[in-house]
Formats: sequence, C-alpha cells, structure tokens
Amino acid sequence: MPMFLPRFTIDQPSTLGEASRLLREYGEDGCVYAGGTELLLAMKKGGLRYGHLVDIKTVPGLDAVAQQDGAVRIGALATHMALERSSLVRSKLPIFAQVEARVANPRVRASGTLGGNLCFGEPHSDPATLLLCLEPTLRVTGADGSREVPLPVFMVGPYEVALEPGELLESVTVPLLGAHQRAAYRKFQLHEYPMLGLALVLDLDQRGAVTTSARVAIGSVSPTPRRSEAAEALLVGERGAVRGRLDEAANALADDADLLDDHEGSAEYKRHLIGVFLKQAFEEATADTSAASGGRGS
Amino acid sequence: MASNTRKSPSAANGAASQEAVPDELGFRVVHHSVPRKDGPQKVTGRATYTADVHIPRMTYAKVLRSELAHARIVSIDTSAALQRPGVVAVVTGQDLMSLNMRNYGHAVKDHPVLAYDKVRYIGEPVAAVVAEDETTAQEALADIVVEYEELSAVITVEEALAEGAPLVHEQGYDQGVSPGHVDVDTSNKRSNVCQENHVRWGDVDAAFARAARVIKGDYTYPMTFAYPMEPYVSIADYTEEGLTMYSAAQHLYMVRNDVAGVFGLPLNRVRMITPFIGGGYGAKSYTKIEPLTAVCSWKARRPVRLQLTVEESILTTRADDSKVHIETAVDENGKLLARRAMIYLNTGAFAENSPLVSSKTAIRIIGPYLYDAVDITSYAIYTNTCPASSYRGFGISQIGLPAEGQMNELAAMLGEDSLQFRLKNLADSGQRFFPKKRPLTADVKGDIIKATEALGWNDPLPPNRGRGLGVLVTDAGAVPVGRSEVRVYGDGSVTVFSGSTEMGQGSMTVLAQIAAEEFGTSMGNVRVMQSDTALVPFARSTGADRTTTLEGRTVLQACVEAKEQIRVMAADIWEAAPEDIVLEPTGVMSEGRRMGWGEVIGKYFDLSDMEVTGRAHIRQKDEFAELPPWWEPAIAAVEVEVNPDTGKVTVHKLVTVADIGLAINPATSEGQDLGSATMGIGVALGEELVYDGQQLSNGSILDYRIPRFSDVPANSHGILVENQDGIGPYGAKGIGDGPTSVICAAVANGIYQATGVWLHDAPFTPERVWRAIREQRAAQAQG
Ligand SMILES: Cc1cc2nc3c(=O)[nH]c(=O)nc-3n(C[C@H](O)[C@H](O)[C@H](O)COP(=O)(O)OP(=O)(O)OC[C@H]3O[C@@H](n4cnc5c(N)ncnc54)[C@H](O)[C@@H]3O)c2cc1C
Repeated sequence: MPMFLPRFTIDQPSTLGEASRLLREYGEDGCVYAGGTELLLAMKKGGLRYGHLVDIKTVPGLDAVAQQDGAVRIGALATHMALERSSLVRSKLPIFAQVEARVANPRVRASGTLGGNLCFGEPHSDPATLLLCLEPTLRVTGADGSREVPLPVFMVGPYEVALEPGELLESVTVPLLGAHQRAAYRKFQLHEYPMLGLALVLDLDQRGAVTTSARVAIGSVSPTPRRSEAAEALLVGERGAVRGRLDEAANALADDADLLDDHEGSAEYKRHLIGVFLKQAFEEATADTSAASGGRGS
Repeated sequence: MASNTRKSPSAANGAASQEAVPDELGFRVVHHSVPRKDGPQKVTGRATYTADVHIPRMTYAKVLRSELAHARIVSIDTSAALQRPGVVAVVTGQDLMSLNMRNYGHAVKDHPVLAYDKVRYIGEPVAAVVAEDETTAQEALADIVVEYEELSAVITVEEALAEGAPLVHEQGYDQGVSPGHVDVDTSNKRSNVCQENHVRWGDVDAAFARAARVIKGDYTYPMTFAYPMEPYVSIADYTEEGLTMYSAAQHLYMVRNDVAGVFGLPLNRVRMITPFIGGGYGAKSYTKIEPLTAVCSWKARRPVRLQLTVEESILTTRADDSKVHIETAVDENGKLLARRAMIYLNTGAFAENSPLVSSKTAIRIIGPYLYDAVDITSYAIYTNTCPASSYRGFGISQIGLPAEGQMNELAAMLGEDSLQFRLKNLADSGQRFFPKKRPLTADVKGDIIKATEALGWNDPLPPNRGRGLGVLVTDAGAVPVGRSEVRVYGDGSVTVFSGSTEMGQGSMTVLAQIAAEEFGTSMGNVRVMQSDTALVPFARSTGADRTTTLEGRTVLQACVEAKEQIRVMAADIWEAAPEDIVLEPTGVMSEGRRMGWGEVIGKYFDLSDMEVTGRAHIRQKDEFAELPPWWEPAIAAVEVEVNPDTGKVTVHKLVTVADIGLAINPATSEGQDLGSATMGIGVALGEELVYDGQQLSNGSILDYRIPRFSDVPANSHGILVENQDGIGPYGAKGIGDGPTSVICAAVANGIYQATGVWLHDAPFTPERVWRAIREQRAAQAQG
C-alpha cells in the first residue's frame, strides 16, 4: 500500500566478478539491479527490502546477442525491445522475437531485460513459457566460476530461482529450430500481466503430416510456467488423430498446472482457455507445413 | 491513432488563416478548431501543475492510513516519530480539537480532517508526519504506534442495511454549504442510510395495472476509480496573514469554503490557487486532501506539500457502485407508461458528493422519455469502504445500464427495433418530459437517427457481431451563477479573468476564443488568467459541463460591457453622442472615423497603457431561472464482436453524438466525446475495483487497468449537432459528461445480438460473457 521507494545505495561494477563479490559482501541486504522494472516495483510495494543494489548495466557486453553453432546466445542484460528488434533473433528465432514484441508495454520492454524476467521467477513470464519448449541452457556465473543450468531446473517456484548467493545469470543460449519444427505461441491478457500463455513446438515428419515429438508449455496459470509430459504424449501421431485428442491434451495440461481461482479468472475458465488456445496453436503450427523454415508463431 | 477514422475538423486547420475569414455562420475564431492555448506548454513539459510548484521552506507530509475497516482509536503514540531527525511535526486527530471545525463536507459535514474517534475504512488517514523531505516523512510513519479497538464492519450495501448492522456513523452532522439538491436529509437518522431521494409523478400503480407488458430486472454497476493521470496533490502555507494553497482541485471556491470553515477564517484570508490540473473526471471535484494539508502547515508552521500516489488516490475517493431494481411498463401499442426503480449506491465511509450523485441517479434513470408516471427511489448507503464521490456525469453512469439496457430488452421483448421503439417514446425538443423542469433542450430523436445512420444500423451483421444504442440526458450546468471579467489594454490586448479551472477540457482555449471573437482579434492577443481565488472572479465550480456555457456567457457579456465603456469613451473623444458610435468587429466608428479598442482607451486617458475592465454575471433569474439551464444528451451507438471461444468483447465501431448547440472548438468537443465514450468502454469491458473482505484488492496502478489508445475502437466517429439552440454563448450547450453512461447498455445490446444473452452485471468481462453463453446453451439443451 505505501508505494514508496525506501533508501538504498547503488554500486556500478564493471565486471561480473566484481558484481558477484559485491553481492557476496552484502548478502541478504544486496540484490542485482538490471532494468529495475520488477525490482523497484516490489521495493515500492514493500515486498522486497534491500539496502544495496548492484547495477549490472555497467558491465560491458552483458547485453550481447550472438549466433553460436546452431543456437543464439542472448546476454542476460538484453532488453525485450532489443530482442524484438534484433535482426539475428528475427531471422533465426522469429517466434522468440514475436513473443518479445508482445511482452508488457513499450516502457517495460525498453528497460526490462530477459535476465530480469527469468531471474524474478515471475509465473506470468511469456519468455519463460516459450523457452521451456525451446530448451535453452542458462549460464550462471558466481565468484567461483560458471555453470550451465537447464531452464526447468532454474525455475524453482514462484519468484524463486536456482541462484546461489553471489551468482548471476550471464546468458541464455537458445537452440535454433530445425527445418521440420514448427512453433506457435498464444497469449490471453486482460490486465498488465498475461492471464495465460501457451507455447507449442512440434517436430513433424518429412511430409508434415505426423508429429514425431511435441513440447507444450503453459504460463501464468501455474506456480511457474510448466510443460506436461502427458499432454505432449497425446500430441504425437498423425495429424487427424492428434486433432481428435486435443481436448484430452488440454485437460492433461490443465491437470498438471494446479489451476487456481484468482482475480484473473476462475480455474474453470482457465481450463477452458487452455483448450481454446491449444487448438489455435496446433492449427497454426500445422497450417503451413510446406514452408522450409520453422518457428512461425503469433 | 493512425487507424482512427474520427475526422477532426481541425485537421486541415491553419488557425491563423481561419481566424481572419468568417465562416458560413460569420465566426472568425469561435466555431473553429484553433490550437489549444495550453498545448505547447503541455506537450513540451513546461506547463505548471501543482506538483511543480515549490515554495521556500517547504516541507513534505506523508499519511499513516488505517489498516482496519472499522475500529475505535484508543491511543496514538507519536513520540518515536518526533525523535527522528528531519521530522518537523506529527499531526493526529488530537490536534483538531482546537480548530473551529474538525469535520468538513460540502453536502454533509461528516468527514474528519483526520480520524479522531474511530476509523471507518482501510486506508483512512490516521496521522500525518511533516518532515524536511518525503523519505524521512515516510520512514517516520513506521515509528507511530496506534492502538485500536476493532469493531465489526459493513462492506456491502446488504450488510449495511441488515437488521442490527453496526453503524458507520453513530451521530448526525451539520449540512454543508451546498445541500440544495438534497430532497430528503436523513443524516440524523440512526441507520447507515446517508441519503434518500424520491422522484415521483403520476399514479404508477395504476399505470402498471393497465400495462400490456411489464419488464423487470436487476442490474449492477461496478466500483470504479475515475483515474486522472495526476494523483491528488496540494500545498498549504498557513501564516498569520491567512492560508495560501495550491491544489489540483476542480472546484477551488468550494474547497476555499471547506478549509475556511475548518479554521474559522474569513473568505478573503484563504487563497486557493489551482495550476493546471492533470485530469479529473469527477475525482478532482470538491474537497479532498486540502484540509489535511492545511492542518499540517498550521501545526508545522511551515509550508507543506502533500502528494499522494495513485494507490493512495484510489483510497481517497472512488465512484459509487450500484445495485438497481427497475421495472418499466408499456401499453398495447408499445408506448411507455411508467417506470419504477430502487437504486442503492455503496457510498463508502463518508458522504463526499454521494448525496448529489444519488439524487441525480433518481432523475437521470428516467431518460428523455414520455412517461405517465414514475416512482424512483435512490439511496446512498454508508459502508466501511473507501468513500465514493463524483464520477463523470454524477450518477448517470451508475444507472445507464438499467435505464437503457432495460429499454433495449423491452424493445426486443416487443419484437421492435430498439431505434424505432425509442423514436416512438422519446420527447421532442421543447417538450416538457419532466414536471417542473425545463423542457427538453435537444433534438434527441434526430440525434439517434444520425448516430444509427453513421453506424450502419441496418447493414447486414457479420457473425458474432451485434449493435446497440443508448440515449440518456443529464440535467447539466449545476447552478447558473457566475461572473467574469475582461480587461482590455491600451495596446488592444485582452485578458480574460475566470474562476474556472483548466483541467485538460480546454476552458482556457474556449474562453479566449470568445474574447478573441468579440474584440475581432487573434487568439495570440488574448490571455486567460484562471483559478486564483484572490485575483479572479468567483466560479461556483468547474463541472457539470458548465464552463463554456455559463462562464462563457459571462465572458461574452463582460466583453460587451467593456465595449460599451469604450463606446462612451469614444463619444467623449469625438465629442459625439454614445448612440452615434458604431461598434465594429475591431473597434469603433463614427462618421467615417475609426479607432481600435485600445486606441480609444489610450486617447481617453492620454496614457497608452491604461485599461478598461468589463464585468458580467449571471444568476438564477430570467432565462436562467428554470432548471436545468440545459439538458445534455448522452448518445452512443456501437458495433461489437464477441469471441465465442473466449467471451472477449471487442468494440469495433463507435458513433457518438454531441448535441452541442454550437461547438466553440469542434476539435476539443470531439475529444471530450471520444474520451467520455472510452471511459464507458473501460467499465463495460473490464474496469472494476474489488473488495476482498474488508480490503481493496486491486487498488493499484498495476492491477486496475483503464483503456489505452489501443482500446479505442478502430472505427470511431463523433458527430457534432449544431442547432445553435443553447443558452450559452452563440447558442452553445455544454458537453463533456458525454456518452460514458450509455456505453454499457449499447454494448449489452450488441452482445445480445451477437449471442442471444442479456448481461445485467457490468463489467462484461470475457469470463462473464463466456459463462452467460454457456449457461444459455445448457438451458437450451435442457429445454
Ligand atoms: C507493467 C508490467 C507488465 C509486464 N508484462 C509482462 C508480460 O506481458 N509478459 C512477461 O513475460 N513479463 C511481463 N512483465 C515482466 C517484465 O518482463 C519484467 O519486468 C522484466 O523483464 C524484468 O527485467 P528487469 O531487467 O527490469 O529486472 P529487474 O527488475 O532489474 O530485476 C528483477 C529480478 O531479477 C534479478 N536479476 C535481474 N537480472 C539478473 C541477472 N542477470 N542475474 C541475477 N539476477 C538478476 C533482480 O535481482 C531482481 O530480483 C511485466 C512487468 C511489468 C512491470
């Protein structure tokens, strides 16, 4: 209720190592400060309290976006707007650019970063929902060096991620989609954050008529964005047969989501919407099976 | 808004060239979309709002708010807060004891400057800290210890009216300075009824008894926030000489009255200044945080600024939510016979402007229709929630859906087109449809024909689409009292002095246009000085769409009066009779001799920078005797699409009609109507403040979403109907309340056409629409 920013200091390190050292030094009283779009809001609301913010915008190169054998490596500090506009992302991972273009509003996209989005552990994350299906690797760096973490391991729970004291997210490496992969993303939104996100990636056979493997994830309706093995199993097979199982797959997704009634809507309505958007995503992903490049979406 | 087809008459408008050439009606400046006078300052960020004002030695206040909905205050310990370095003063209810009045309120004096005996809602101010800086003030709030004795609370109207319900107010209060609109005062009754109103004529029971068809329904309108971009802010400087305040207050003279009463100060020792206001929509009307800010300055003996956040603003005032039961009867020819309604407003902890809002609901639910009999009762009910006050169109939004939604349902029930059904039952211009009130001052029949034609009312409907219409009227203008002054200088420049405020609606531009027209000069040669009670003439309020019409009339007459003074001066200079002096557009003429206005003044005084002041006033007499000064229609037609899968409703087409008499500035007039309709779309499709138990659960900038430009219908069209039939300058009639109120009803009809379901509870969120469709299908499957 107060909505008032309390006092704090800001450090501006020039290397990740220095940032990590400062974070270790401040312990519970310190926090990484990227775009600040989540952090400063939470501090204004009194939900988070830190005496020291470690601003990583002064670390050079942390926002780089580069191609790396069969993947795109995205620096944690790349903003949503930079990703939406990056020619590399637009040509190599068009679905990702499209999703980024519809995150939040221009003001949040201009300063909010992918790293901040993922590290905040926000259950309503569009990028996290899509990335679950793209299976990226996260590079996490601390005082003792770096480690690679898969996204599902990174996402521990609502507003909780697998970062040890002093650790930072350095980059996210997203594999490119193959020629026979199709992707689609659906989003439904009433307020500032999405009410439902649904990502679908299908591996199709040569003729494009059979799904050989499927990944489907939902966000905003579960404690963290989630995939459902049961739903994915139902999405494998000949197109007509899969189409007939979409309701069942949607229910499996909903079952795995732990849906709740909240101010966005009832669990019942969310279950219904998962069905609506799974069908839409499936039709979109399988619509243009002749095209060579994967990763179409909306 | 590139996709917007709304055509602004200003589009092709080079103001300078237009000012010179009279248009088809003979106007040079008026009736033109001249650029806003305040536009350049505002778009470059130079305009001064209250938050930009800084005075030497200024301190900052922060407010401690109640965390309980209803509780007796046992004690407040401020000692730790006072110890904190940088804290100048801490103010609590105890400090109010030595004041002239602890309570204020223009309708009912029930609002304590700070809670002193008990708290009545979560968020009510309990104490304020004044410090050298805002952060210190905020931090010191945590040092204050309040001990409460909790009481049981009433959050909904049902709870408040239940047998044995706890009382929000145990005692009665004095009436405020403007209770004139109050029909029945129940402020001294031991119940939670804040206000009760009745509008009755004819024999309703008999009319219902002989009716061929009767329709009945229950409707709800959500709790909303008017949401001006600028939150509440005020600055007070209390000294021996008196009190000077800056505040984002629409009705600064009424605020002056309230604060003068708190301190027992004469009016001339309270100076209220209102810089530009960052929007109001009802939220900035009447007194808000000014008494508290003033008391902080009085205690601290320093100038004090109190700036609220959006979240605190929502906790300061919201709009009344309502529940309405309504019945309408028709004869065998589909002619309206009678209407009955019971209206319950959830008014929150203090009366604020809800007595007036509730009295207006009872008038406005009738609409511009011809009834033999009506029987309307409305109540404003106290609850332990955030106090409710004005919202664009005082009360009309709360009754728009029952009033016009039911009209649509009735037409459908009778198998009639809702346009034709209305045409059969609406009053004509000049017809007295409401006993003892002025006859209708607008051509509402012609207006709705124009609206529906522009919408394509009879075009084939694509699947999942529907159209709808709504028409209501407000008794606009409030009280026809006002005065203005116009000063003409020896160099021919002109300044208009007006008590009205510039809150984005364009009063500064419109008043300048009138003076520029009258003196045959350019907009650049006219200045407007507004809203400083020490310097400019009184304005009762800037609301009820009255400024252009009523203040505009006094500006026009003040110009005429100044010109008459100049005529006499010219006669003296030329040694002629005043009646032989001809007043031309740019000056005086006699026997082929000419002088400009300023030239006359310079010659007469033999001092080239002398001046002349014209003055004029109006009061409730003669042509202004009958109320309302004019009836303002609210008219909109929409085409909506319902997504059958998600229930999401999209408004694709919008047509608004402003029956404006004459648009002094067509572009700003259209802006008012589009803005008003957009506010209505917000409520129709999603806006709603929600109480989760005793706590407002979504009262924040993140959780309460209002429409954005992307929500404005891609195809929107504003029609200005200019019959020059108004009481204002050049036949103008005020607009601005606009079509907000009828959007819900129009959208509901569209949803019905698209899906076959009638919705009675706004907002029509996707989930509500989806559920309604599903329930209907289930019922159809069963039956
Ligand atoms: C109004 C609004 C609407 C939104 N709508 C959407 C939406 O539609 N879809 C969506 O997906 N998201 C949405 N968001 C979330 C938005 O994407 C995030 O706010 C943004 O990406 C966070 O990035 P940031 O750089 O501002 O993070 P910050 O606020 O700076 O940081 C957030 C958290 O992450 C930590 N952090 C940041 N960077 C790192 C790092 N490199 N290593 C370790 N920890 C780090 C911080 O310590 C902090 O705890 C919305 C947010 C807002 C405010």
